[in-house]
Amino acid sequence: MRKTIGLGLAALAFSAGAALAQQKSVTIAVSIPAATHGWTGGVVYHAEETAKLLEKGYPGLKVIVKTSPNGAAQANALEDLMTQKVDALVVLPFNSDELTNSVREVKKRGTFVTVVDRGLKDASIQDVYVAGNNPEFGRVSGKYFADTLKTGNVVVLRGIPTVIDEERVSNFEKALEGSGVKVVDKQYANWNRDDAFRVMQDFLQKHPKIDAVWASDDDMALGVMEAVRQAKRDDIKFVLGGAGMKDMVKRVMDGDKMIPANVSYPPAMVATAMGITAAHFYSNAPMRGTYVLNAQLITKDNAKDHYFPNSPF
Amino acid sequence: MPSAPELGPASAVPVLRADHVSRSFGPIEVLADVSFALNAGEVHAVIGENGAGKSTLMRILSGHLAPSRGGLVLDGASVTLAGPVDAERRGIVLIHQEILLADDLTIAQNLFLGREVRRGGLVDDAAMRRRAAQVLAELGSVLPPDTRVRRLSIAERQFVQIARALLVPHRVVIFDEPTAVLTPVESERLFAVIRRLRASGAAVLYISHRLPEVKAIADRITVLRDGRLVAARAMDGLEPIDMARLMVGRDMSKLYPEIPPAPAGDPVLSVDGARVPGFVDDVSFTLRRGEILGFGGLVGAGRTELFEGVMGLRPFSGTVTVEGRRTRFRDAAEAFRAGLAYVTEDRKGRGLLLGQNLRTNLTLAALKRFTRGSAIQVGAEERALDAAIRDFDIRARRPDLLASQLSGGNQQKLLLAKMMLLEPRIVVIDEPTRGVDIGTKEQIYRFIAGLAAKGCAVVVISSEMPELIGLCHRVIVMRNGRVAGEVSGSRMSEDAIVFLATGVHEDEAARIAAGEATTGEAAQGAGHA
Amino acid sequence: MTDTALPARASRRLPAIDLKALSPFIALAALILLGALVSDRFLTVDNLVNVATRSAFIAIIAVGATFVIASGGLDLSVGSMAALVAGVMIFVMNAVGSPGPTTPGILTALSGLVGPSPAGALLAGIVVAIALSLLCGLANGLTVTYGRIEPFIVTLGTMGIFRALIVWLAAGGTISMRSSELREVYRPIYFGSVAGVPIPILVFLAVAAVAAVILYKTAFGRHIVALGSNEDVARYSGVPIDRVRILAYVIQGLCVGIAVLVYVPRLGSATPTTGLLWELQAITAVVIGGTALKGGTGRVWGTVIGAVILELVANIMVLSSLVSEYLVGAVQGAIIIVAMLVQRSLQRRT
Repeated sequence: MRKTIGLGLAALAFSAGAALAQQKSVTIAVSIPAATHGWTGGVVYHAEETAKLLEKGYPGLKVIVKTSPNGAAQANALEDLMTQKVDALVVLPFNSDELTNSVREVKKRGTFVTVVDRGLKDASIQDVYVAGNNPEFGRVSGKYFADTLKTGNVVVLRGIPTVIDEERVSNFEKALEGSGVKVVDKQYANWNRDDAFRVMQDFLQKHPKIDAVWASDDDMALGVMEAVRQAKRDDIKFVLGGAGMKDMVKRVMDGDKMIPANVSYPPAMVATAMGITAAHFYSNAPMRGTYVLNAQLITKDNAKDHYFPNSPF
Repeated sequence: MPSAPELGPASAVPVLRADHVSRSFGPIEVLADVSFALNAGEVHAVIGENGAGKSTLMRILSGHLAPSRGGLVLDGASVTLAGPVDAERRGIVLIHQEILLADDLTIAQNLFLGREVRRGGLVDDAAMRRRAAQVLAELGSVLPPDTRVRRLSIAERQFVQIARALLVPHRVVIFDEPTAVLTPVESERLFAVIRRLRASGAAVLYISHRLPEVKAIADRITVLRDGRLVAARAMDGLEPIDMARLMVGRDMSKLYPEIPPAPAGDPVLSVDGARVPGFVDDVSFTLRRGEILGFGGLVGAGRTELFEGVMGLRPFSGTVTVEGRRTRFRDAAEAFRAGLAYVTEDRKGRGLLLGQNLRTNLTLAALKRFTRGSAIQVGAEERALDAAIRDFDIRARRPDLLASQLSGGNQQKLLLAKMMLLEPRIVVIDEPTRGVDIGTKEQIYRFIAGLAAKGCAVVVISSEMPELIGLCHRVIVMRNGRVAGEVSGSRMSEDAIVFLATGVHEDEAARIAAGEATTGEAAQGAGHA
Repeated sequence: MTDTALPARASRRLPAIDLKALSPFIALAALILLGALVSDRFLTVDNLVNVATRSAFIAIIAVGATFVIASGGLDLSVGSMAALVAGVMIFVMNAVGSPGPTTPGILTALSGLVGPSPAGALLAGIVVAIALSLLCGLANGLTVTYGRIEPFIVTLGTMGIFRALIVWLAAGGTISMRSSELREVYRPIYFGSVAGVPIPILVFLAVAAVAAVILYKTAFGRHIVALGSNEDVARYSGVPIDRVRILAYVIQGLCVGIAVLVYVPRLGSATPTTGLLWELQAITAVVIGGTALKGGTGRVWGTVIGAVILELVANIMVLSSLVSEYLVGAVQGAIIIVAMLVQRSLQRRT
């Protein structure tokens, strides 16, 4: 994760000299979901921190960060942003279907468009795409189970029924193929702690032997752990969450047996996207293309690289 | 209004006939072996006390209820009605006592609600407006079809309801106590409509408590008592008092009780310069211990609003003095504490919780008397209910009934019992006998007289003039939110009250309402019991 | 007025079995039968105890909702309110337990007063949680009553306000109990038991029992039902309708507060998704329990059963392997509708 921030800062340092001479004025608008879940809270935190950093580094740069509570509100927010003079838009869309047209309108005005995490339906709209890698997230998680567990029963807690969740879970299962690890049950728990507690309680009733749990998200992992603790079941060897919540990364760092690892899906990807976008205006080389941030396995060895004590997430 | 020549029975075969009809609810038989016939071109009145089986019979004839035994014969052929819609399809329409209209729709929209005229998938508003205007004109009304029902008076709404019923082809028209909420002038206009229906050859079934108007409008009567048919005869020579005797089964010559002479004590309630914005303007009066003071006037004259204002139920200005103390009530509870009680005219909307049982209703206003600490003493409530059922002669099949399952007269008695639990010294009773049968009426009159004899001060608000005259020491008549005058003693007459209430004399009013052609009959129709 | 009276019938006080009040219990029994058929793990004590314990929050909140709905009102803000109260409670416990430089002065003072012991922090948290929930309920009640605004709109508004406040307080993240010592002291409130009965179950039974007494045996309860049946009749009968209405919302607030006291020790944290859609679950529990949404009736015990039924349906879905996880929502919805149909057909028979 430090690498991703590093990418932004490197671009910043590289172009600063050239920019100073030109004294131009650039406005970048950032449209992201409001902080309604831990992960999006992290996105907001990183976007705001990066905005301060970039404005300090690039003279004449103005960054407007705008959060929206749902897809329709985000479409409205985009329209509002466009009434101001905006040179570039960094957008983390709520969902691709709803917002593709809104972003297309923005693009038509000649605005530079950077899309983060969730790709648009029409890839030709975006100049830069910074993508989290959901299939990779599932694959890395699955591989961890296959490697450490080798054989045994696993239960899976899914998120909210979305493409993201589907990509993660199907690739998780694909990664288990050929190993002795078997998914004995999976249910939706909506990336929500309380729902995860409830589903896990029922899993524990239903399955007399569970070797490990893929909670697929750190919020859900916390609910799962309470249920396991209450049931006093010692057959469960570990719980794997995901997304790199600071509390969980800390436990990995501290060597907690139940939480031996985590898989990153960094909310800081928005910082990368903002850095690349700023670099487009202040460096000589125009930025184009797709940047995929791979999901990384976080273990005790590299945990401190992923630990941000000041982030709310 | 052009008057059609009176038609006799159009044919030998009755349009609709009930053949030995019985109906039971559980073990209780509410209608037993009733046979009668409706002829075309004839107004047939069914009378009886509450609970006599009138409404059951009416519901069977209009398809709302199936008979337990016996059957219906339509045009000489036996028929089974599948429901009210089926009945309507066969030309039997019922005009409900309750106003069943959508307040926010226009008259035309209401008339065609559920049977909109369509053209190419869309509603044809223009056609419906035209047809509505035509139907209203046929009924002798000049209401614009685009008026929203919310803005109509009760009487006007009833006309809309009648118009709606008559929009479908009809051969049998059933009126269920249609004049309960109408003033005499408005009733007279309704009778004109009924006469036109009769002239057009429809068979009209008319259900009412008001015997003088039954005499005025009906050609034939059937009397029910306790679910049985006790008399069926032509109207000729029958007087209201005879009908009452048939209904009740005993002599009804003394409907009104002996009222003790007017007392001359200090006033217990004086109201000075009362104003209720939009309804009452500068009304003053005083009320003495043991006095029965009537308030007459047309519906909408501001009588109800005046007393709701006094009770703290409406915005009110003016001075109120109770037993020598100047006071102002912010809500009903304060008025109750000062010894006042108000029995509303709207017992279903404001008087009783229809979905609750009798006990809950009875003790609601005086609940404090039934709590110890903060717990309700159900035993004490039950005893109070037993006492109320006995003292007020509330006829409930079971005491765990809901208020909505009582007949109108028994609801009224329950409401009276409820307010009397407050042990008030000043009692305001608004329309004490609206929609109740003659037997209950007599009971309520005697109850009111008893209250006054015990020293209560009583206000009776009524639109029935015989009631005011028979019951009150004096009558204040209101018109348009102001006091139009006061009558007492020998000057109390229906004509004097109508004159004060409308500004014209009674026979003149009836002539205006009914049109010149029916003058003589109309004056008699609104006439004296 | 007695001379026309018919002789009073002798057998007037026949006690009739009230199928209406019984029907939620019958639906519950049917559901338990279904559960036993689809999974052999269903009828274990552990499982049933788990389900009953989990249903505690919704049951307690729904008992409050029974008052509001019986009075003819509606409160959509309870889920957000629960999240806010939980967040503030944890915040206060953290601050009082170990005041830091950023701790607001008043909480530092409070910390000095009760001492930094876990018990002191817990006490401060409980007092603040109950006070805040009462205030939230009062705000709803006052706005509905004196603003003369539809309760649907008012509580939709406060739902947004409470939710935004917790998001702001958590800065989009999580508010967690920091002191593990405090966690261990508090944890038994959810996970502990007295004589084998988990504490949350005892709490919701106690709340329901008190609520039943208030609703059925006091003048206030009678006034609630009168107000919900017909506001005009209540007013004309001298019922202090403004006070009654406000108190209904305050009781709802208090119930949310009590639910939070039981909720917080379970996971020791509040997030922006805490209590999401609890308002719908509470309202569903109330309706399944036989209280009409239009007001005028209140069935406290039915409500409690309704909450358990909701939780049971979810439990059966997870325990059975018959339904793909994609279709769980559909089957859950269908079971609830069927349960209601069974109930209504029983009620019509009376």
